[in-house]
Amino acid sequence: MASVTLEKLWKKYGDVEAVCGISLDIADGEFMSFLGPSGCGKSSTMRMIAGLEEITSGNIYFDGDLVNKVRPRDRNVAMAFETYALYPTLNVYENLAFPLRAARWSDTDVDKRVREIARILEITDLLDRRPTHLSGGQQQSVGLARALTRAPRVFLMDEPISHLDTRQRGRMRAYLKRLHIELGYTMIYVTHDQEEAMALADRVAVMDLGLLRQVGTPDEIFHNPADTFVAGFVGEPPMNFLECEYGQEEGRHVLRHNGITIKMPPHSEALVQRGAIPQRVTLGIRPFYIDIGLEKSARHTIPAEVFVVEPLGDMTVVSANVLETRLQIVTAPDFRAQPKQTLWLAFDPARTLLFDAETGHALTNQA
Amino acid sequence: MLELRSLTKKFGKTVAVNNLSITCKECEFLVIFGPAGAGKTTTLRLIAGILQPTSGEMYFKGQSLANVPPEGRNMSMVFENYALYSHLSVYENLAFPLRARRYRDDEVQRLVQRMAGILQISELLDRRPGFLSGGQRQRVALGRALIREADVYLLDEPISHLDAKLRHRMRGELKAMCAEKDATVIHVTHDSREAMALSDRVVVINKGRLMQLGSPDEIFYRPANEFVAGFVGEPPMSFMDMEYAVEDGQPVFRISENDVRLPASSEVEAYVKEKGPPDTFRLGVRAVDVSASPSADEIHNVPGEVFVTETLGHRNLLTAKLGKNLVQVVTPPELTFEVKDTAWLDLGPDNLHVFANGLAIAHPRPRTS
Repeated sequence: MASVTLEKLWKKYGDVEAVCGISLDIADGEFMSFLGPSGCGKSSTMRMIAGLEEITSGNIYFDGDLVNKVRPRDRNVAMAFETYALYPTLNVYENLAFPLRAARWSDTDVDKRVREIARILEITDLLDRRPTHLSGGQQQSVGLARALTRAPRVFLMDEPISHLDTRQRGRMRAYLKRLHIELGYTMIYVTHDQEEAMALADRVAVMDLGLLRQVGTPDEIFHNPADTFVAGFVGEPPMNFLECEYGQEEGRHVLRHNGITIKMPPHSEALVQRGAIPQRVTLGIRPFYIDIGLEKSARHTIPAEVFVVEPLGDMTVVSANVLETRLQIVTAPDFRAQPKQTLWLAFDPARTLLFDAETGHALTNQA
Repeated sequence: MLELRSLTKKFGKTVAVNNLSITCKECEFLVIFGPAGAGKTTTLRLIAGILQPTSGEMYFKGQSLANVPPEGRNMSMVFENYALYSHLSVYENLAFPLRARRYRDDEVQRLVQRMAGILQISELLDRRPGFLSGGQRQRVALGRALIREADVYLLDEPISHLDAKLRHRMRGELKAMCAEKDATVIHVTHDSREAMALSDRVVVINKGRLMQLGSPDEIFYRPANEFVAGFVGEPPMSFMDMEYAVEDGQPVFRISENDVRLPASSEVEAYVKEKGPPDTFRLGVRAVDVSASPSADEIHNVPGEVFVTETLGHRNLLTAKLGKNLVQVVTPPELTFEVKDTAWLDLGPDNLHVFANGLAIAHPRPRTS
């Protein structure tokens, strides 16, 4: 396995800048997700690492060695795609052994390797079977196993499970993560699905418009997003934003949204002391951290008019308007309300994030 | 209001819709929910009159639809492939159904502007469909179907091609819009959250057959069979294969290849007494219905081996191994487990669904928050 270093990496297609000078260190054995919307440059970055795409400028190193000029097949990277065509005439064992035999492994090594991978993916019982005698889920496990048998320096995956149904996707996600824990491969995983990126990775690199917006652990990007883009892209339902003005009321520092007063979060105190809070602030609060009251109270001070209520079984999502701004609130599964009904909201101050309304950059870190 | 009686549609030897009987009430939002190839779109096309049933009947307000051509049914449909007029602007595409019904120009303009605002396509009104993204085209198609009055709106995956954020938003807009106009809607989707969020009732179908028809709460809390149980809800329900036995006079479930015993409820005992032991007994566990603890206690008394944990931000997802079964449990973010540790689960009968030969015979006790 190898570490991967990206240094001021650029990719231009004619006038289009797909990747704009990103720098990133991926540790040996790390699981790194590249997350972003379509066109953010995540796949171009991966293809440059694989050597399938020419680098416009910048450098890529494996274990400190420059690989810019190394041909794809000599980089010893493996790339997994969504569909794995298994050889129907070979049994599962020989399907897994095939890439190893092609790389001239000895029979003993092949056997050891095939059995190790089969054990982790729990397909040992299937080794004698032909692919046609496997269920859909078993075929996927075997396909993944075959992609993983050969130990490459870097393992690259581009949306490998995005077209599976929810059930199979959840299952493959768990196996993929377990495989990474047991094998310790350096893995780079491209996805537009924020939940998948969070669930799998040691760290997530969030990209937009060819730029790296934030690199951090799943907890960091979820709880302390660097800017409003990351904040809005990670998490479902997405984070709510409310445009506010910073001011003082009866000697207290407060945020105001068109006459509605909102408490400053406790973690913003240092910022207040330094006088570093801009006039215009974007407040960010996730749907999970808003509490609903049916009456106005000392805690529930923000009036909101119900737009729609969506029961989802394990939770209910309420969409409600605070003046002109639509917010979503996740609440108990049995909560019901009528459209146009007034609710009173309380934002959890410890979970309230502040962003500079001008730049979108985060102003505070949650404790 | 709209009744399907024993509706069957065959394409050659393939049975796309198999003896389907459902009724859609007036002003109801009915969702047809199932996996790819379930027969959802075929059902919608039969209702629209684009396809003719092989057998069975359909009634609208008591009148047979057998000899009513599509244009004689006052139904407005969104097609999965959008079917927009490529030579017309977005504005004219939206205006088309109104002009065809001789709406006045100022009325057309008001309705088009309003619909475009709701669907967030106001800035696209001058463009032709060819210059739109897939998600934009899909919203135009939805707007064109909803802009006019119709007895029934037939929506085939109308928001499936939008990105996650927009889909979320449009789901709410669609629900609010249909509620406001008291529309009768039949909506096809393969997305369980969409089915739950939008519907008054859900028709769950698989391989052309009706699996369950019920309110979102019914299909979530009281799924009729393993198919519905496993297909509704996210993360999906985990299943465990069990052996039933009576030990020391107590009915118990044994997890295959594991020493663990779970008490079986009186419903299970009664079932076995009446019908004998089924070929398969499976337990269904919803990730939100059970909890995990790093140490054993009175309720967390079933040991599982931590297979993997996933960080999802506001909560974590723990996958534990019990015998050969993988069971997923939602855990609070502050609770951490290491791979191969023991996680103790509260798999009491009150938290589990029980399936005998694939059919539900017991459900968790209803919880109150």
